[in-house]
Amino acid sequence: MDYPAAPIPAVALTGVTKIFPVPFQRRSVVAVRDLNLAVAVGQIYGLLGPNGSGKSTTLKIILGLVPPTRGQARIFGRDSDRVASRESVGFLPESPYFYKFLTGEETLRFYGKLCGLRGAALKSRVEEMLALVGLTSARTRRLAGYSKGMLQRIGLAQALIQEPSLLVLDEPTAGVDPAGAREIRDLILELKTRGITVLLSSHLLGQVQEICDRVGILANGVLVREGALSELLGVENQTQLLLENAPPNLLEAIDDLAARSGARVIERGRPRTSLEQLFLEATEAAPDESADE
Amino acid sequence: MKVPMNDFRHRVFSFSRMTAIAGNTFTGLTRLKTFYVLLLFALLLIGSSVFMARMTFQQEFQVLKDIALGAMSIFTSLLAVIATARLLPQDIEDRTAYTVLAKPVSRFEYLAGKLLGVLLLVALSLLAMSALFFAVLLFREQSVLNETSRQMAAAPAEQSAEALRLVRASAFNVNLFSGIAVIYVKGCLLAALTLFVSTFATSTIFTTIVMAFVYFIGHLQPIAREYWLQTNSAGMFTKTFLALVVLLFPDLQSFNLTDDVVAGNAIPTALLLKTIAMGVFYCGFYLALAWTVFFRKEL
Repeated sequence: MDYPAAPIPAVALTGVTKIFPVPFQRRSVVAVRDLNLAVAVGQIYGLLGPNGSGKSTTLKIILGLVPPTRGQARIFGRDSDRVASRESVGFLPESPYFYKFLTGEETLRFYGKLCGLRGAALKSRVEEMLALVGLTSARTRRLAGYSKGMLQRIGLAQALIQEPSLLVLDEPTAGVDPAGAREIRDLILELKTRGITVLLSSHLLGQVQEICDRVGILANGVLVREGALSELLGVENQTQLLLENAPPNLLEAIDDLAARSGARVIERGRPRTSLEQLFLEATEAAPDESADE
Repeated sequence: MKVPMNDFRHRVFSFSRMTAIAGNTFTGLTRLKTFYVLLLFALLLIGSSVFMARMTFQQEFQVLKDIALGAMSIFTSLLAVIATARLLPQDIEDRTAYTVLAKPVSRFEYLAGKLLGVLLLVALSLLAMSALFFAVLLFREQSVLNETSRQMAAAPAEQSAEALRLVRASAFNVNLFSGIAVIYVKGCLLAALTLFVSTFATSTIFTTIVMAFVYFIGHLQPIAREYWLQTNSAGMFTKTFLALVVLLFPDLQSFNLTDDVVAGNAIPTALLLKTIAMGVFYCGFYLALAWTVFFRKEL
């Protein structure tokens, strides 16, 4: 009897360890220790951890920028030390600078050429990416004059230039204002609907919680927690009920019902909006003083 | 779900990927102020030779060629080293190397593209310097020809024609092109060597300082080679040291053919071809060395 083949994960790390020797000393630093990880196709996977926990090193190993001391990293079944494994990968490093002497359009043309795009296909893809990240009007401006948020967006555009199947993002919203961060977050969610697998590392836990299907938490190079977000965050013996326009007698009736069935109401109160939401509402509603009268 | 196609074939080496990197490197270097300042100095030096003190026309042409070819040689070498030294450290420091190497680009294509970009820049600047040099030479030749014609107005036609032929022969000869070609090859060699040094150097300034030492040692290499081959009485340490100098450093002295060109001596075709072949070999050798270091470099 034939069984269907197990689907190949977008990213698979098997027993990956990375040790960095310290120059002129006899000691070494273990950046990642015996890491096993699999990112399924179509998922948004969040790699979390404090500074120095090994997140960036893990991403570099996946991209073949750093060879692992032990273990194996594979992208769609291909060894990540092979150049061919990166045919279908887009990468945005943390705080990228890119080539400041290039304009936004030239930058995308350059990265497109590296991915084998030419002629009309390259031109239309550059147009599409500029529109996607909202930089069409800044296309002829040199990157030296771009803001941090614009750099991050052009970085995302170059990562997507060849329509990759896997997108690797290292701190994609670092240094970006809340509005810019929300745009990037929305873009990541849109990419998921197109079937693109996203692997990202971030410090912003709230954002990761909003968009990721699965997370892994690294501490001192060790994967200390890993799983689907719903499994990791759900409290099994508690249920949350959110009501709108509930009169006081209904709330009392619910309390009575809960007490009679042996359950206990732990907390009741008004849900609060997030600070991010408040910031966005306030800044978007504010009149633009710089606009021409 | 989006999954890459299995029947995809990746080309191990792509000329178009390499030229994309070369073009980008060239664009970056031509948008640097340093390049224009260096080129301006070279052009000023070559252009100023038109105002030199009037001597006999043979001496004048000789000094003009000496100054111009000397300036072209020094500025080409300087440009090749300075332009190359900053490429890798800056790309790694700015993390732009990550974005390039995270694409399906091999490290060899990356290095070769960078080197090719510098070689294009060196070719362009040498072309500009050569154009000015030939313009100055042509201008001075015309002046001398006019003056000679005036002075020889009363002389017999054969004598006058001979004098004009002498002027033309002193100004232009085909060896000038050979001299310029060798200057370019030397620039290419220095760029490749700088690229190799920058693969393990930690900064641009370190690479430049190392290259300054290499430049001087390279010009002394033939002396070391002769001593190494002929001396039997030297100690083991000295012999080993000399062997290292001979094997690791290029013989830059053999690229100094400009003295012969200035003196008007003919450069044999065999010597020219041998020198160019040696330069090409060194370029390939240092590019291969750079790749072996950069291949396993942790970024």
